[in-house]
Amino acid sequence: MNKLIKIGLPSKGRLKEESLKVLKKNKLFIKDSKRNYLSEIRNFIPNEVVFSHAREIIERLADNSLDVGISGYDLLRESLPGIQKNIQIFLRLDFGYANLVVAVPDTWIDVQTIADLEEISFEFKDKNKGKLRVATKYPNLTNDFLLSKGLTQYKIVNSLGSTEIYPFTNQSEIITDITSTGATLKANKLRDLKDGEVLKSSACILVSKKSLLSKKKQLRLFLGKIKKT
Amino acid sequence: MKSKKYSETLLNLFKKKGFKVKEFENIIESKIIIERSGEIFKKSLLSFEDDNGKNFSLRPDLTISACLDYIKNIKKGIYKYTYFDQAYRRTFGKESLVRNQLGCEIIGLAKPQLNVEIVNLFDQSLKKITRNKTTIKVNDIKIFYSLVDSLKLPSRWRLRLKRHFWRLDYFKELISRLASNSDLQKSVFELDKKSYFKMKKLNQEERIAGRKISEILNRFEKKLKEPRSKIDGKRVSKIVGEFLKINCSFKNAKKELKKFEVRNNLNLKIDNFDIFNLNFNDNNVLFSTNIGRNVEYYTGFVFEITKKKKNLNLASGGRYDNLMQTLGAKKNIPAIGGAINYDNLLKL
Repeated sequence: MNKLIKIGLPSKGRLKEESLKVLKKNKLFIKDSKRNYLSEIRNFIPNEVVFSHAREIIERLADNSLDVGISGYDLLRESLPGIQKNIQIFLRLDFGYANLVVAVPDTWIDVQTIADLEEISFEFKDKNKGKLRVATKYPNLTNDFLLSKGLTQYKIVNSLGSTEIYPFTNQSEIITDITSTGATLKANKLRDLKDGEVLKSSACILVSKKSLLSKKKQLRLFLGKIKKT
Repeated sequence: MKSKKYSETLLNLFKKKGFKVKEFENIIESKIIIERSGEIFKKSLLSFEDDNGKNFSLRPDLTISACLDYIKNIKKGIYKYTYFDQAYRRTFGKESLVRNQLGCEIIGLAKPQLNVEIVNLFDQSLKKITRNKTTIKVNDIKIFYSLVDSLKLPSRWRLRLKRHFWRLDYFKELISRLASNSDLQKSVFELDKKSYFKMKKLNQEERIAGRKISEILNRFEKKLKEPRSKIDGKRVSKIVGEFLKINCSFKNAKKELKKFEVRNNLNLKIDNFDIFNLNFNDNNVLFSTNIGRNVEYYTGFVFEITKKKKNLNLASGGRYDNLMQTLGAKKNIPAIGGAINYDNLLKL
């Protein structure tokens, strides 16, 4: 039982706050630490809490430098298959709800479905001699979704933020982005398509599959507590 | 050893028929493929960036390599390529990243009799190295296009069926969608109608995310004018299903297609197709409307040679008259080619 259990938590925003709430509810209290990104749970088996970017938590679980962590389902599904196969979803949590959707400018009134978009993409190719550009922070999920829906003539534009403004700044024509209420899309004069939901996401407790073998007892203790939520 | 023996024999046979053995560049600029095929092919490219941010890929397909070689080095006239080399693609299952490809391409010649010559070349070459009996199947993709044109469908659906003919799973989904739901969502459509009248008053040349307002409104109007009825959709999906089951001897193909035409009250313009004027040496050649659907760039005549009884694919190919231009040639250059399914050949 001396093996240290390494726990990854989101380092900022609502995901961090809600994650800490989940732990607190289960009487797992994080020690106040002078170091912002490193701490531990008080009165628990030997452990280390690492605050990281939610994307990084997934990568560290996959390479087994973390044993368990909280991150988004969307980020897990966006990661490469080689990473996903090393991680197990233990529990989907009751926060961080968001959908990844395909959105087009509100004024594209002739576009209601992905099939419309597919048609537009060919028109676009013929008239503009280029591909319809899709800006996204989720290129893998977007590709899988669009290809499965018959869209082939497009080009991904990788975005790191403010994806909603891309169609109006000539950086892309359409986008895929995370939305929870649709308010941000609406404010940016975008709308989602009726069959354009790529993924429903929420926060999850994720476990490194290697740790499930090497730190079975420690994980059972930690996850046992959380499961009571 | 078996592999080397087969490849040497086949290449020698092809050389005797006037084909030149060529080695192609290992690396190609990814942009060429992506501009042509979009993200669907990008997924399978094994690519990397150089110091200037330019993206390159290991060659994913040797027909494409032959076309690029023609555009860069040959430029005009007829050129007959043959090759035995490796192509590289990202795989998502247990398949190998490396694929051995042995094939022939004739670029720059359109005559219909060439279709017979290439089928005979592959069939006779296979017969030299294996005693297994083979079955030849032929088809012309354009017959399907002609069927689609003769169906009662909105133009957008016609285009859709043609574009996705080669994507077997998605095509099935399209057909079932055609038979069931509607294209329009009424509540959203009513809201959009309000926007339509507002947008009518705006400058029609103004662009919104790359599209002119006039383009958007024209397409909206077209959708209104061309609603798709459920009944027509069901009928069309039934006819397409029936068409794709046509599988008969090549000698009877025209007759079978005519029967199909009469039964469904269609006009496929069968007499316009060169394929029915071809004379194959083998009297047992079959005609199947469902072959040649695995390669996106085929434009007309296609063939498939399989091991008799076991239906093991040994060779396949077809005409790809539009590929050269989409890869950068200044005009369309007719081309036909085929490849031996080398892994299956070794299984014999």
